[in-house]
Amino acid sequence: MDISGRVNGEFDNTWDDPQKRSPLVPEHYKFGDVTEQVCGVTEAWRPPKAWYVAFAISVSLLGLLGAMIVYLFFTGVGVWNLNNPVGWGFDITNFVVWVGIGHAGTLISAILFLFRQKWRTAINRFAEAMTIFAVICALLFPGIHVGRVWLAYWMGPLPNQMAMWPNFRSPLLWDVFAVGTYFTVSALFWYCGMIPDIATLRDRAKGPIRRFAYGVLSLGWTGAARHWHRFERAYLVLAALSTPLVLSVHSVVSFDFATSVLPGWHTTIFPPYFVAGAIFGGFAMVLTLAIPARQLWGLKEIITARHLENMCKIILATGSMVGYAYGMEFFIAWYSGNPYESFTFLARAKGPFAWAYWTMISCNVLAPQLFWFRACRRSIPIMFFVAMCVNVGMWFERFVIIVTSLSSDYLPANWGGYRPSWVEICTLLGSIGLFMTLFLLFIRFLPVIAMAEIKTVMPAAHGTGAHAFDYNPDEPKEHPQVSEGRQ
Amino acid sequence: MSFCFCLSLSLGGLFFTILQHLTRAGWSVVVRRVAENVAGVLPVLAVLSLPIVVAVAAGWPDSIKDVYEWRGFDPAAHVAEATPAATAHHLLLKKQAFLNPTFFTIRIAGYFIIWWWLVGFFRGNSIRQDETGDPGLTSAMQSRSALSMVLFALTTTFAAVDFLMTLDPLWFSTIFGVYFFSGGNVGFFSLLALTMCLLHRAGRAQKALSIEHFHDVGKLMFAFIVFWAYIGFSQYMLIWYANLPEETGWYLIRQEGSWKLMSLFLLLGHFVAPFLALVSRWPKRDPSTLIAAAAWMLLMHWFDMFWLVFPHAEQSVVSADPRLDTIHAAALVWTDGLQCVTCLLGVGGIFVWKMARNMASASLIPTRDPRLHESLAFENI
Repeated sequence: MDISGRVNGEFDNTWDDPQKRSPLVPEHYKFGDVTEQVCGVTEAWRPPKAWYVAFAISVSLLGLLGAMIVYLFFTGVGVWNLNNPVGWGFDITNFVVWVGIGHAGTLISAILFLFRQKWRTAINRFAEAMTIFAVICALLFPGIHVGRVWLAYWMGPLPNQMAMWPNFRSPLLWDVFAVGTYFTVSALFWYCGMIPDIATLRDRAKGPIRRFAYGVLSLGWTGAARHWHRFERAYLVLAALSTPLVLSVHSVVSFDFATSVLPGWHTTIFPPYFVAGAIFGGFAMVLTLAIPARQLWGLKEIITARHLENMCKIILATGSMVGYAYGMEFFIAWYSGNPYESFTFLARAKGPFAWAYWTMISCNVLAPQLFWFRACRRSIPIMFFVAMCVNVGMWFERFVIIVTSLSSDYLPANWGGYRPSWVEICTLLGSIGLFMTLFLLFIRFLPVIAMAEIKTVMPAAHGTGAHAFDYNPDEPKEHPQVSEGRQ
Repeated sequence: MSFCFCLSLSLGGLFFTILQHLTRAGWSVVVRRVAENVAGVLPVLAVLSLPIVVAVAAGWPDSIKDVYEWRGFDPAAHVAEATPAATAHHLLLKKQAFLNPTFFTIRIAGYFIIWWWLVGFFRGNSIRQDETGDPGLTSAMQSRSALSMVLFALTTTFAAVDFLMTLDPLWFSTIFGVYFFSGGNVGFFSLLALTMCLLHRAGRAQKALSIEHFHDVGKLMFAFIVFWAYIGFSQYMLIWYANLPEETGWYLIRQEGSWKLMSLFLLLGHFVAPFLALVSRWPKRDPSTLIAAAAWMLLMHWFDMFWLVFPHAEQSVVSADPRLDTIHAAALVWTDGLQCVTCLLGVGGIFVWKMARNMASASLIPTRDPRLHESLAFENI
């Protein structure tokens, strides 16, 4: 290891010494280096080729989504293979999955902020962006599955001459409020945190369009002490407001199921279990996006190996909570002595959807066990593999919960199967397109890393760094990524 | 009941200790020793669990069959068909593989062996470090903390099921282990805040403990109060909403007669009032307020345990002798009340004694922890 902490040209800070905290950013970094690297992502004249390829695919999928929605609206929900008894299928599965993915961002920005986990600064920005885009995808599904979409506004409690109100006792309505609130607060939080960084982009902007756009978005930020003071107060308040929201949103989503009396849906552990699952799935998605992004835009010394390792640990921890909930459900299904409960759980493991169940178990419970080993937490291919497994596994978890319970309830005469139609499958693919399109645009146009926050965790911010303030933007710079090969 | 109260406090201490190693926390080093000392009572609690375990194992005295109804279950008994008793008989027969004295004893013994080992490992190594100052000990504790956490989660869950949930052998709830855990942590953080403030007042560790640490422990106490309410609400709301007879019975007995008021009192005293009292910044930074809040929460946590245990005891007394008239019932309530208090004093006294012994036996803060300087310099900004 040389003086800058590099091993074989890669910055390595995964070592662990109780006497000394390992640095989150290479110690020789100056504030200016962070600004250069992060702004470079959006200021580059052209993004990497991979961006174009990904964008082309995403936009095509987005088009597919549009086509599917148009087809659905003009033909009716019959184009989905939903029928009695399986009245919820891909639509609600996708909804729950996307809401779940939307949890990691706010967890990182709010809860990890309150827990003073400084490593969150490198990943919070794009995780929050991911949250917002995922919630947009999520909101789409309940909106389009109602059948008569032109009446979807009835979900809101609008005073009207017919004195018709939504059913306030229905968890489905709570969902509308919970997800809506979550989206609003997350978007505010994301935007509020971005203001100083947008101002940085504004100050560096070369063209008039960029200067104008960033100028409007940065709300006249000058970096004055008074601005910072208000900013930090607002940030803390928003963090405190978002923290209960992280828990409440997925709890309310779980109420959609758990307030019913259907075996396999009605169980008291559902709220915390859904929250843990959401964070689990959300972090897997953060990893899925972070790994290629840091590679493509040369951010490896900002989103370091240690950040990835920490995320692996969170995946392992929340994955264990999910495993605990699976185990508890099984135990109580037996312990309750309720034949319907035990039947449902055995049917999941052995019935017609056993393939989905075992996919879920192997992806959600078995795959993350690799993260017990340090070597696996440091190997990018393994990490990526596990993250993809969890993405798939969490989708199947929701599918298993929704479809198995609906397909075989109390009355055998009421049982029935479910097979998704091509429209449902294309809509799912299309929603991935929507998500990726928004995300790729975000990377291209907004500050992908919270520069201002990263700087607060660098030694220079605490007066101990050697070159805290000797940054001169006119001085020709030696880019840290370029110098890698020389080590 | 008092035993479960103390047990939950110690387990809270154990959880906190393991968690600090798991997250490599720096701020908490100066308060960790108190947590270790609270967890260090677990071996004594193992002894205190003997009256329950031996009574279940031996089936003597007979009253244990009123406490744990399943202990009095006779598989060969004949019950009239299509009655509630027949349903209960049928269910208990199914559960016999789990609810039998032998397995119960083995399980409890297993939990205490695991806890004993965990306490020995974490507290022991921490004290050893006071002498050697070896940072390797911290690394060793860190590397084992993850697996320890898994062990802790499983044992605590099943201990809650065994000691408390099986008081009503027919009732079940998947979240019950989490409920016990959350309440225990409310109790533990209250105890921690109380101990720290009192130590500070008594002039001990004054240079190490500061208002910043009180603030943080206060925050954690507040967080767990809210978490407890969240878990309690999840359990209640789902059972209330689905309204299935096999689940609602448990809440029904807590909503009838005087228990109705007690349940409301629990809601107000354990969540609403402390939430309002602690939500601001200043109460957590003012030792006198923090002491008052912590003492109150400790009391409320005890009341939570009372609320978990007592309705069943009352039920079994009433069902055992339906001829009890009101005067007798009132007299019983008074003797019960007296027993509660004396029992709390007894078990709690032993708990405090052991905790004090633990505190006397080692330095009050881990003096040579490699992250001590972070904790000493810690400030909330």
